[in-house]
Amino acid sequence: MSSSASKLREKRLSELNTGATPDGQIAHLETVAFGPSLSVERFRFGNGLELLFCEDHSAPVIAYHTWFRVGSRHEREGKTGLAHLFEHLMFNEVEGRKAGEFDRKLEEAGAESNASTWLDFTQYNVSIPKDQLPLVVQLESERMSRLVLRDPQVKSEKEVVANERRYRVDDDVEGAVSELLWATAFENHAYRWPTIGWMKDIEGFTTEDCLEFYRTYYAPNNAVLVIVGDVAEAALLKRLSAAYGALPASTLPIEDVRPEPPQTGERRVEVSKPTATEKLVVGYHSPAMGDFDHPALSLLAEVLFSGRASRLHQKLVRELELATEVRAFVGPFRDPGLFELFVSAREGTSAERLLEVIDAEFERVQSEPISAEEIARAAARLELGLLAGLETVDGKASTLGFYEIVLGRPGAAFERLDTTRRVTASDLIRVARRYLLPRYRSVILVRPDLSAEAGADDAEAAQ
Amino acid sequence: MSAAATVVRLEEAGGATVLLETSRALPLVSISVGLKTGSLIDPPGKEGTTRLLSRLMRRTAGGLEPQVIDTRIDSLGASLSADVVHSTMIFQATVISRSLNSFVDLLVDVLARPGLATAELERLQRETLAELKDSLDDDRSLARRFFRRRFFGSHPYGRSVSGTPKTVPEISSADVASVFQRSFVRDNLIFAFSGDLDAQRASHIARRISEALPSGAAPVDSTPEPVAVPGRRLVLVDKPERTQTQILIGCLGSHTRDEDHVALLVANTIFGGTFTARMTQEVRSKRGWSYGAYSNMPFDRRRQSFSMWTFPKAEDAGPCVKLELDMLSELRAKGVTKSELSWAKRYMVRSHCFAIDTAAKRVGLELDQALYDLPEDYYAHYLERVQAVTLERVNQAVQDRLSEENLLVTVVGTESVIGGAVREAVSDLASTEVVAFDSAD
Repeated sequence: MSSSASKLREKRLSELNTGATPDGQIAHLETVAFGPSLSVERFRFGNGLELLFCEDHSAPVIAYHTWFRVGSRHEREGKTGLAHLFEHLMFNEVEGRKAGEFDRKLEEAGAESNASTWLDFTQYNVSIPKDQLPLVVQLESERMSRLVLRDPQVKSEKEVVANERRYRVDDDVEGAVSELLWATAFENHAYRWPTIGWMKDIEGFTTEDCLEFYRTYYAPNNAVLVIVGDVAEAALLKRLSAAYGALPASTLPIEDVRPEPPQTGERRVEVSKPTATEKLVVGYHSPAMGDFDHPALSLLAEVLFSGRASRLHQKLVRELELATEVRAFVGPFRDPGLFELFVSAREGTSAERLLEVIDAEFERVQSEPISAEEIARAAARLELGLLAGLETVDGKASTLGFYEIVLGRPGAAFERLDTTRRVTASDLIRVARRYLLPRYRSVILVRPDLSAEAGADDAEAAQ
Repeated sequence: MSAAATVVRLEEAGGATVLLETSRALPLVSISVGLKTGSLIDPPGKEGTTRLLSRLMRRTAGGLEPQVIDTRIDSLGASLSADVVHSTMIFQATVISRSLNSFVDLLVDVLARPGLATAELERLQRETLAELKDSLDDDRSLARRFFRRRFFGSHPYGRSVSGTPKTVPEISSADVASVFQRSFVRDNLIFAFSGDLDAQRASHIARRISEALPSGAAPVDSTPEPVAVPGRRLVLVDKPERTQTQILIGCLGSHTRDEDHVALLVANTIFGGTFTARMTQEVRSKRGWSYGAYSNMPFDRRRQSFSMWTFPKAEDAGPCVKLELDMLSELRAKGVTKSELSWAKRYMVRSHCFAIDTAAKRVGLELDQALYDLPEDYYAHYLERVQAVTLERVNQAVQDRLSEENLLVTVVGTESVIGGAVREAVSDLASTEVVAFDSAD
């Protein structure tokens, strides 16, 4: 930004802040590059609310995301799933607006809205035609501080979430087994329970639980607004200042983080599920996303499992015809997670046989350098994935918000791409030897069983 | 802004239709090559042929080995997939613009010079059979599959696009080659480009592909209009150990050339087309029965179905089916209200910006219009037609098009748990069929 533009911003902020309460004062903190052609402005309100703004006039629309730094990691035993239930409740009643009005008004404005909860965050996203910005600012600022929680809504929403759980976990082989994997691999850290929560916890939530959660975590100093789209900065700041400036900060609790002790031996669980063929699910403890090794391990996962040209697709699906599908990913989390892999066997193939082939390939990458061509190919896939995710304003806002919450650097997607391009064969051998060891893994072997007794709620029962 | 306003039609590329919107926002190029034929041209008893062909083309381009092709696509920072449905087939590619020339060389080989090697076809058939087995794990796709087959019955829209365990092994190299020869002729292709390329480059690519193919007209789509099967029918897809059910209830829906087509789209929006529509309100918000509750009205070249989708827990399946049928009945009896209509029109007009907020989406709509023989001004005047819909028109369209008498209820669940309640929920049942989820159907 030129110095004259910078001065103009300072002048505008000064005018905006004149007469504003301390909570409503806005400061510009930095300009962050976001790829080769875009940049992001970071602002902070006096009440702690952060704003990331990327002006983008490619279409007459705006993405308006609100990211809260609260996810399932902030829950405790017996109250798992509360962050996710709360995400549902945020679409209910607000002071002065009856239940359902929030969504109805947004849809009438032509908006697309949704939300998601994961281990480290809860995020709410609205995409709107640009002339509907005032409405979304009003609605989003209202529900950050004036949500109404009553028994009937909590009861009804618990039932909806229980049904979501049945859909995504209880009646879904992959969902159920992934849940079991995390519950097996983690003994201490809050990552061991599923974001959607155990069914008994979902059924047990009270309205008071929800109120306490709201008062604790839903405050401007625990939130980041990410706004991308066709709006001028000055007009946006003026509107946000009026809407959010009066919201009080809260005292956020110190997180009761319980680091996971190192795993010292393989854990293996065998389950029966109503599925036609065997499945193999394995989780190796992996580094946090901010760790130096994370990009290299992610690239290794790409070389081994992603796309039809990947080593294990070629080996398991094509050459040996033992599997229909292979995939893996390295958890992108604030704390260490899992290098999680999933393989679906063909009829007549055992999960153990799949593991043998994978073990052999892992031994190979621990001893033989991966070629420069394979590394470049994997990096090109990651580059394509990043660029393709940035076509819409919503895609840009999602990328910015995710990297801000997990790494504290909104433009880190492109930093990671640069880092990935610098990964060497030595880096890949190092991470393969450091992380892909049997003693660090949990293995779930899924046997097909179409009888009515086949194990439901394995992970929950194990708790 | 409409898609038609920004998408350019290039005429000079050997007579083929070429759609283009240049956008320099990202260093990416998107290429879609659409064909006006899809799985409906599969030989009888050999359903799945066109889909197998599309996958085989990608694996045998220019007579290369599949590993070589996959490696090259990944190395270029590209993706290439084929989507086959009943009436169309689209090869969709995205490539980082620095690799465009090299990628186009490969794409020409995929589309015009596939080896179609028999050994690779046989490998693909084994892979497809294993995937069909895997798909039995997905209850939602089971519901969709049984609904479609029973709803359209012997009509071509009831045929499987992917093929079945019975038909896939029957497909020979000659079948695949025959479908290739019929489908890949110049006049059957429509090109759609968007992103980081100009008109000259787009024309050149389209010409290279066209010129590598034989001239010839697109096969005529002689699919008849589907006819409603009389009566209320119930299909229970029995699967053990289900805590939940997947329910699809439907009747015949709309045709894009119906005079009341847009009016029926408006009715669908009000009834189950959004998160605050009647279905979500009644099923999810008031009762908490299902995480999702929506209605759907897709289009094709012939009339498609109108369907309602919910997935309540097993105990709620019966009441949920009854509620949905009652809601359909009420919609027909009382229609929609004036305020619902005003709301829906505002929603449809304002939200349309998200159907056209990228160059790729705008080009995609124009491609659909050409592939599905939609009325020429379908998207150009879509918003005006929505605005012009009246209350009388919506309610008449509901009366004329949606049927309570001739409909199909498909439920995937554990029959011994839900069967009684679901049967009870559907009054005047003309037929009930219980079918195992893994039947070779």
